[in-house]
Amino acid sequence: MNLASRDLRRHLGRFLGTAAGLGLLFAVVIAMQGIYAGLIDDATILTRTLDADLWIVQRGTLGPFAEASRLDPTLEARAAAVPGVVRSRAYTYQIIQRGVGRSQFRLALVGLAWPEDRGDTIPLVAGRELAQPHGEIVVDASLGIPVGETITLAGEPYRVVGLTRNALTSGGEAVAFLSVRDSQLVVNELPDEAVQTERQRTLDRLRQTDLGRAQPALEDLPLDSRWRSPALPAPSVSAVLVNVAPFRLDDVRRVIAGWGDVTVFSTDEQRDLLLQGVVQKAKLQIGLFTVILTLTAAVIVMMVIYNMMLEKTHDIAVLKLMGAPASRLIALVFQQAWLLGALAYGFALGLGALIHPSFPRRVVLTAEIQWGAPIVVFVLASLASILGVVHATRVDAGRVLEG
Amino acid sequence: MEAVRAIGICKTFGKDDTEVRALVDVSLVLETGTVAALLGPSGSGKSTLIKALGLVSLPESGRVLFQDRPVVVDGVAVADVTELRRRYLGFVFQKANLVSFLTARENVQIACEIGETSAPRRRALELLDYLGVGHRADAYPETLSGGEQQRVAIARALANRPSLILADEPTAALDKARGRTVMELFARVAHEQGAAVLVVTHDHRALDLFDVTYEMEDGRIGPPQKVGHQSALLAEPTPATEHASTRSR
Repeated sequence: MNLASRDLRRHLGRFLGTAAGLGLLFAVVIAMQGIYAGLIDDATILTRTLDADLWIVQRGTLGPFAEASRLDPTLEARAAAVPGVVRSRAYTYQIIQRGVGRSQFRLALVGLAWPEDRGDTIPLVAGRELAQPHGEIVVDASLGIPVGETITLAGEPYRVVGLTRNALTSGGEAVAFLSVRDSQLVVNELPDEAVQTERQRTLDRLRQTDLGRAQPALEDLPLDSRWRSPALPAPSVSAVLVNVAPFRLDDVRRVIAGWGDVTVFSTDEQRDLLLQGVVQKAKLQIGLFTVILTLTAAVIVMMVIYNMMLEKTHDIAVLKLMGAPASRLIALVFQQAWLLGALAYGFALGLGALIHPSFPRRVVLTAEIQWGAPIVVFVLASLASILGVVHATRVDAGRVLEG
Repeated sequence: MEAVRAIGICKTFGKDDTEVRALVDVSLVLETGTVAALLGPSGSGKSTLIKALGLVSLPESGRVLFQDRPVVVDGVAVADVTELRRRYLGFVFQKANLVSFLTARENVQIACEIGETSAPRRRALELLDYLGVGHRADAYPETLSGGEQQRVAIARALANRPSLILADEPTAALDKARGRTVMELFARVAHEQGAAVLVVTHDHRALDLFDVTYEMEDGRIGPPQKVGHQSALLAEPTPATEHASTRSR
């Protein structure tokens, strides 16, 4: 006869209630671990998605995610000319906040170097990558905007042609991919009055030059919205991403690092900079809280299981007086603890599957969490069982005779 | 055959000023098939003697033998007491002390399993029927009356076919009629099942059901008193037994 199952059958409601309570506790711990993993994953997903071997950024800066980086767009061509480089792409990164109706949303605009980069390295869950240099955008599904919908940025319509999943920044903002030119248009958006003022200033400067006075027809140029004064520099880019031929990485890096106006990082270095800089405090905060929560949960779980054993002290004493072998009592303690842990973990997983999608930040249950959590639960249940067994072996069978 | 023999066992609690001599050179013999009453005022050492014979709290000196086999010598167990309890002993307490999460049948069945009795489920049902509570086999202890609980407890004590059943005031929580019924069951068990039964009791109204009575006072045990027509069942002690069972030094 299995004593553990008999006890469960008799006290099923209380047992399930206890399992649910522990499950809630596990759910909180797992969610915190998932939030921590999500923070790390969000922070690094862009560096992984863009699939570059080297990141060229403004000299003395740490790259577009850590701080502002401005590079002349001609750097894209310079990098492409380095022997061993198979692909060179301009890249812009800018976070904007816009209001839609009464709500505000923050969006990280990532500019892709059309036509070299149409977003073919971005994992899409719906739609397609960019097919034209203007007016198309790929957004993260977390924004809730379906493929085919049009959104307006800087007064221009952008049709959503593709959706990503979990393309987020370290701050949790959804990422939108569009061409570099479009991203520059959005980021450098000016009100109509400012545009008109700028055109007037351009005309004034033109009329003060010999060229302007000699050719008045040139005054029509500033009226064309696509025209840009040759005297003004082209908008900068945040970085240039470089892909290198096999076994040429060190050579290419050495060449580019020798240029005086840039700093070059590998993707792993960009990732480390992100984790050590941008999200370090958040990571430490959540990490420490997760550790404390895990330890607290461990103590509570052990005490709950141990108290279950204390409640059975009298029954254990009776069984010992009857001559029950220690193995039978140990089995009772361990089987119940393990079953309780398994039920609680299952409850936590089920609850997590229901509520994690509602969290404002992404909860990532990594393989380490999915494998590690049940092992930790098993170890906790076993440790608590050992305490319970120690208690059971110390129970004085004679107390039964004392009534 | 002797179920149990105690020879000169002693037990003391506390030290110096607080010292209490709970058992003073107690000797007795119980033959199989005998039901014996252990009488005496509170604090006279009855429960301590039950614990000592049940190997729950070993005596500090003296010897205890089960079926002529020494099991405790000078306060030291010379055999596995858990195994001895499993094989030779059955307990019935003032409260039934049934395992709360097992049904009546399972309470007896688990004792059968612990005692390694064959076909434990069938034997459990047979014992419950034998003690008149077979119809409550699937009931949990909390739904049984006090008398029913004690019957189940007796069935449990019989599960491993013990040679010695120790009962500590088993009728204290029962009314007179139910108490007598339980005592009758003990007598029946002793005579039909061949076990020796030692019952601690304050109820002198049911003494006619016992074969022999022992009186305890201040940790000492008196000589066995044969009761009524059953007295013939008490085995005549051998010279060695006589010395051990009737003297309280």
